[in-house]
Amino acid sequence: METTPCPTTPRWNVDRPFLTGRFHQETKGTSRFADSFSNTGDEKAIGCYDVGVQEVIVMDDVLCALVGIEGRYISIKRRVHTQGNDNYDFSVSFQVDASMDLALQEMAKRIFPLCESFVLIEQFVESRSQFKTGLVNHAFAATLRAFLLDYEAMVAQLEHQFRLGRLSIQGLWFYCQPMMASMQALSTVIRKASANNFAGSAVLNLLQSQAKAMAGDNTVRSLLEKMTQCASNAYLGILERWVYEGVIDDPYGEFFIAENKSLQKESLTQDYDAKYWRQRYSLKDGIPSFLANIAGTILTTGKYLNVMRECGHNVQAPTSENSKLMSFGSNHHYLECIKVAYDFASGELLNLIKEKYDLMGKLLSIKHYLLLDQGDFLVHFMDIAREELTKKLDEINEEKLQSLLDLALRSTAAAADPCHEDLTCCVERSSLLKRMATLKDLEVRSFSDSNDMEEPVSITGLETFSLSYKVRWPLSIVISKKALTKYELIFRFLFRCKHVERQLCGAWQVHQGVRAFNISGTAISRSSLLCRSMLKFISSLLHYLTFEVLEPNWHAMHNRLQTAKSIDEVIQHHDFFLDKCLRECLLLLPELLKKVEKLKSLCLQYAAATQWLISSSIDITKLEEPSDSSSASQKLKQLRLKNPSRVQKAITRDAAVTDSILKFEREFNAELQSLGPILSTSSQAEPYLTHLAQWILGIGSDK
Amino acid sequence: MPREIITLQVGQCGNQIGMEFWKQLCLEHGISKDGILEDFATQGGDRKDVFFYQADDQHYIPRALLMDLEPRVINGIQNSEYRNLYNHENIFLSDHGGGAGNNWASGYHQGKGVEEDIMDMIDREADGSDSLEGFVLCHSIAGGTGSGMGSYLLESLNDRYSKKLVQTYSVFPNQMETSDVVVQPYNSLLTLKRLTLNADCVVVLDNTALNRIAVERLHLQNPTFMQTNSLVSTVMSASTTTLRYPGYMNNDLVGLLASLIPTPRCHFLMTGYTPLTVERQANVIRKTTVLDVMRRLLQPKNTMVSFPRSKEASQAKYISILNIIQGEVDPTQVHESLQRIRERKLVNFIEWGPASIQVALSRKSPYVQTAHRVSGLMLASHTSIRHLFSKCLSQYEKLRKKQAFLDNYRKFPMFADNDLSEFDESRDIIESLVDEYKACESPDYIKWGMEDPNHILTGEGSATGTVDPRLPV
Repeated sequence: METTPCPTTPRWNVDRPFLTGRFHQETKGTSRFADSFSNTGDEKAIGCYDVGVQEVIVMDDVLCALVGIEGRYISIKRRVHTQGNDNYDFSVSFQVDASMDLALQEMAKRIFPLCESFVLIEQFVESRSQFKTGLVNHAFAATLRAFLLDYEAMVAQLEHQFRLGRLSIQGLWFYCQPMMASMQALSTVIRKASANNFAGSAVLNLLQSQAKAMAGDNTVRSLLEKMTQCASNAYLGILERWVYEGVIDDPYGEFFIAENKSLQKESLTQDYDAKYWRQRYSLKDGIPSFLANIAGTILTTGKYLNVMRECGHNVQAPTSENSKLMSFGSNHHYLECIKVAYDFASGELLNLIKEKYDLMGKLLSIKHYLLLDQGDFLVHFMDIAREELTKKLDEINEEKLQSLLDLALRSTAAAADPCHEDLTCCVERSSLLKRMATLKDLEVRSFSDSNDMEEPVSITGLETFSLSYKVRWPLSIVISKKALTKYELIFRFLFRCKHVERQLCGAWQVHQGVRAFNISGTAISRSSLLCRSMLKFISSLLHYLTFEVLEPNWHAMHNRLQTAKSIDEVIQHHDFFLDKCLRECLLLLPELLKKVEKLKSLCLQYAAATQWLISSSIDITKLEEPSDSSSASQKLKQLRLKNPSRVQKAITRDAAVTDSILKFEREFNAELQSLGPILSTSSQAEPYLTHLAQWILGIGSDK
Repeated sequence: MPREIITLQVGQCGNQIGMEFWKQLCLEHGISKDGILEDFATQGGDRKDVFFYQADDQHYIPRALLMDLEPRVINGIQNSEYRNLYNHENIFLSDHGGGAGNNWASGYHQGKGVEEDIMDMIDREADGSDSLEGFVLCHSIAGGTGSGMGSYLLESLNDRYSKKLVQTYSVFPNQMETSDVVVQPYNSLLTLKRLTLNADCVVVLDNTALNRIAVERLHLQNPTFMQTNSLVSTVMSASTTTLRYPGYMNNDLVGLLASLIPTPRCHFLMTGYTPLTVERQANVIRKTTVLDVMRRLLQPKNTMVSFPRSKEASQAKYISILNIIQGEVDPTQVHESLQRIRERKLVNFIEWGPASIQVALSRKSPYVQTAHRVSGLMLASHTSIRHLFSKCLSQYEKLRKKQAFLDNYRKFPMFADNDLSEFDESRDIIESLVDEYKACESPDYIKWGMEDPNHILTGEGSATGTVDPRLPV
């Protein structure tokens, strides 16, 4: 509030302030008081008069006092304590000449509270009409002024009666009664308001609580309610612009929503914490109590409207008589209006994001590429980018990868998807395991041993390749940087699995190449079974990841998104989906992930060795059994030419091959078996792990 | 256009099922009979380029080679409404048009004679593709052209394109009926040898089972070739859906096959499909769920290979299973269904290695309306397939013992001078194949064929042991 600029009071207004009430007296006061004091000597004490005369004099004085003017025998004592610049803590008291008839004195004193209230109120009205006090105070002051007019009219009428000689002091007292309670209540409010120098919502809260406190007194309560209503009109005007237009029209900083203009919407694509979405508009302290319950709704309503405006989408909230946020009270009409406005804004925004910006299309497209739902492009990409990806990190040419990626996308089923152009590739600096550890907020279970975190020495593009997706405003609200990061993590994991699967398929094909030879009982047959186990492992893992994790979760999210009512709900479902996937994809369980990575690297080592293993055992076999591709008669001849001595020589090499195949087999089986206990112990906390165990270990299957 | 597959259709049967296959693909991809993309089929998302390429006028041409030694079937195709679909350069008909006379040797020999022409065609197609993944051969193993010429093709493909995959859809003869081809056992045996040694994957389409399915499941009195062929085309198109409608997994042929085929020679797959319908046949429409479909796929009556019912046959085990489920599937059902199948012990898997049902969820063509919501294809490696081979062997033995009909074979160079060693060698290979499948049924298959299993386990290799004692000589 302190920083809010407000128009300054014009100079002339400061120099020559009000001609009313206290201000008039303050400027002129000193001389006049001097006069009055000098005059007192001239005038006789009232006690000298007859009681009847005294009554007339007193009534004249009281009528003056009722509008805050000193009379001859009624004086006003003001005590003003200035606190700081504008903070007045002051009190007024009326005093009556002590020589007055006691009965009259008593009567006058009874009326004095009314006079005091008037002075107080008038003074409040004057001081709160300044610019700096804010709209709510202005409105409140204006209402008070109107109320004071009534009061003054009453005083004028009493005076008229008095002039006609129809009014006695008892009559005066009688006619003052109706005003008494109201004025009293108002002055209580005002005292509190000025003591704390309330403004904005605090004034409204005060008024409301007073109205509630006065529930027993119908007139006072309705007066206070009317005051509240009038005072809050200005506030509701601000609110109205916010919930119907998304504009903060708040020159005096009274509204409870603040805008942080330094956050730009473009930052959403970079900012991991999505500050723009969460902090661009925020609630301040001092929410009016009648809005406290729906402050959140109000905030989001305007936020949504702002998003649409930022999109260049002109929203016109439907306006009708009823939509005016005016009458409030017991019927809570304003609550309904806000509800309607919220429904409109969120519906409109959701519609905009879903229809015009095609959220589902984008999500599907991300699913195609980052979750490999349409994985044919990756097959092609890995075909053509193999060479580039096997390079060391520093030698990888990202532009080249990108153009290869584009090529792969253009020539596969992805070509039909216009969104495929938003896919970009990047090569990260660290392996997946290390990357997971750097993302602290993902609740990654901490590593027990941090020294295992060292990067393997030769890390290539295959370990760190990742895809990314260009998301633009306003979809970046839903697909935030954080969400994208999660997608990328899942992709990297899948990509590694796919790579391993590919290499093993290559190894499988190498085995296929030797089927012309009878390999039963040789190391090759052993190797082909190992290859099968590895393939089974990796495809089961992939199977688990895709059909047990990604697809069902996606399905569930998709259904939820269809029924989502607001963008926040969409964000929530989407984030939930990602977190669930991330967890079920083992990415949050480093211990398990490490095991799986170990198995994968064993598979890769094996696949890389296959060519050598097979060809070195083929050499020997070939000698004894020539290839079938040559014609049968030739073959027979060759068979007869078999050279036993060379067979002998080759067998020793075969033993080395057998050794290394058995070594692979042992290591692989040992690793795989060691997964079992980890999976079963963790599966109590994470039930989905039993699915995985069933897949890759076949636990609970036919045995 | 990456990972293309070239289809080779050889012989009468091969061309018939091939044609049905292309019909089905055209339907599924919204390609008209002339190869023009229909107006409603432009939304994309499918991979037409695996099996088709586009001519300069944008019309789609199948990557198919049509080969036969007699003109009847191919002429039929050329006179049908689909005549403009195929590339006419890709049709090979022998000049004399006399066929192979149901003689494997004749087909093989003629194939050898025209190798250059055919290889030119294959090379041209292969050069026309970006990164050829492999070949698919459609043929029958009983006749002359499909078996003989097909065998020759398999050998040459293996030679020339050793890095490419070769998958075959091989129709096995009906063993229930007495065939009009008396030398069928000879032809089958000789072809089986090539299928064992020169193909990466053989999808066995057993005519006996196809007929049985047509009669029992589809309630057709006398199923025509058209009708059984449409069963075949259904299987063929369904088994390629993961290639044509890319999904999470199995987006290339090698990935599809590698997980199914355990050892280089045990690459014979059997198939099952449900629910089956044939054109113009008003079937009762069932409620289909994932569990339903998976359960039915495991029933022998739905598999397209027939087995004898014997004690030995009941020992048969699944080595691997891939279920391709198409249609509107709630993915959460997949796990539940697998769980149920596991609990009920509906599948008998091998014990020497990890095994489970793999599932691939695949999209269905949006242009083909089917009555059922979910349909499924099973591709499985099952040890009972050996009974089919045993049957071939025993039939062969019978004929061979009588020395019947061998004269027709002796006319050709391979068997000249009464050199029948080719028969013997084939027999040995098939026998060892049967043995291998049989060994798969035992829990210690891993040690199968090892002279001294303990010795090799310790890995202390010495002079003996690793050379297979069963070398066919």
